Amino acid sequence: MAMVEKISSSRRSFLARIWVGLGIIALLQLFTGAVAYFMSGRKQVEKNTPELLRAGVISDFPPGSVTSIVKGHLYLNCLDDGGFLAISRKCTHLGCSVPWVVESEQFECPCHASHFDVTGDVLKSPASRALDLYPVSFEKGVVLINISTPIKRTGFVREQLVYAQKSG
Amino acid sequence: MSKNFFFHFRPRHIPAGALCFTLTWGLGGMAALMLTQQLLTGLLLNIFYQPLPVLAYQSVEHIQTTIFLGRLVRNMHHWIGHALIIVVFLHLLRVFFSGAIYPPRRTNWFVGLGLAFLVLLANFSGYLLPWDQLSYWAVTIATSMLSYLPLIGIPLQEMLRGGEEVGAATLQLFYFFHTGIVPASLFLLLLYHFWFIRKAGGVYLPHKKTNPEAVKGKFVPVVPNLLVRELAFAAIVTSLLLLFSMFVDAPLGAMANPHLTPERVKAPWYFLGAQELLLHVHPLVAVFFLPLGIGSFLILLPFIKAKEEQPQRWLRAVFVIGIVLLLILTIIGIWFRGPGMRLMWPW
Ligand code: FES
Repeated sequence: MAMVEKISSSRRSFLARIWVGLGIIALLQLFTGAVAYFMSGRKQVEKNTPELLRAGVISDFPPGSVTSIVKGHLYLNCLDDGGFLAISRKCTHLGCSVPWVVESEQFECPCHASHFDVTGDVLKSPASRALDLYPVSFEKGVVLINISTPIKRTGFVREQLVYAQKSG
Repeated sequence: MSKNFFFHFRPRHIPAGALCFTLTWGLGGMAALMLTQQLLTGLLLNIFYQPLPVLAYQSVEHIQTTIFLGRLVRNMHHWIGHALIIVVFLHLLRVFFSGAIYPPRRTNWFVGLGLAFLVLLANFSGYLLPWDQLSYWAVTIATSMLSYLPLIGIPLQEMLRGGEEVGAATLQLFYFFHTGIVPASLFLLLLYHFWFIRKAGGVYLPHKKTNPEAVKGKFVPVVPNLLVRELAFAAIVTSLLLLFSMFVDAPLGAMANPHLTPERVKAPWYFLGAQELLLHVHPLVAVFFLPLGIGSFLILLPFIKAKEEQPQRWLRAVFVIGIVLLLILTIIGIWFRGPGMRLMWPW
């Protein structure tokens, strides 16, 4: 009698465990289904297709100029030696939009007062990285900016500059 | 039937000692009351609100300017939302210091932590909805904090925003959180929270073992003794909130402009402690280790051995120090940071 009881109770607990297991699997399925449902509706634009922005003819951007390009949310800088840099406006600290301040000749973030120089390098923390760059190229005297992928960098190096004469 | 349902949450008789106001300061009840008010005002706002950029802002303006009592309803929803965070915080402190976190109430402590988290989530997701400059940039800053998390930071941020920047997809998601899943889980969990108090034998009376008199004393019927007190308290709280909302308008800035960050923009105030810390320590500490630390500390609290049903001395000291630090950071962040994050006097 005692034997039978033991067997049936262990069988019962085995069955109960199967039920719990099945329940957990069902819940997981429901959860993954919900997540997939959610994610499929939030497919993002393919990131790697270059989106070229025609900024203007080269002569629009004389050496020593900083021009705001609103559409690309960036600044096109032509340094004194004629090197071009397309600098993102997005502060590397917490993402505020950084304006160029003409008087002080630097980018000054309104949120937590990070400052960046004309090359986008950090002059004053809390930002720890230089402002992002966009690739610049030239075609028949027109400045093209690839605005699909901002390039992250720690600081400014001369290799980042692009010159009009070299690439035509 | 309805009466039976009611008594699942409330006993028929309670110890006279449980009526004492300073036992709870009415904080939990106040939070529940305010949550209900949020539900009601939220439903009203939802009639006219449209969760799309530009339209969102215009619909809020519409509610404020043309809808009958619209401004008052929005003010109430706004201010009660902020006040709730404070009340929930105080309620958490009260429960900790009265020692109501040990078994059999331990589970309810966890339920309460879950509720507190949901209240924060509700407030934060509601922050974006007016789609003005303040809400747009506050949410940009707050979600940017995520990007400092290693590995999962950026994907998590993009999932939350539905893209690289805060935009229509973000608004859609925040709206869904704010009006769908968060309030639904909040109220389910709230029922559980209340039912659990009943199951654990009503409001916690300190020193049950050391001072049995408090419990043994005479019992009084809940109706009317407790009910009348609760209703009176609810009436007082409601009229104070109403008065405040009549005279102080909820802010609404210019419409969100992703190209222009206004001066003096800040993350929501309850994040300002973390943001202030972000200025002084490694970002990973502020956005990862700090919340993780606070969270696990709160969860582990009821497992630390109690002394005479009370948290031990040193534990209370740690708790108080933590709160004071958090308050100092938050207060500096709110009032002592001027334009450009310069330290300044608030007057
Ligand atoms: S977002 Fe620019 S300094 Fe913080």
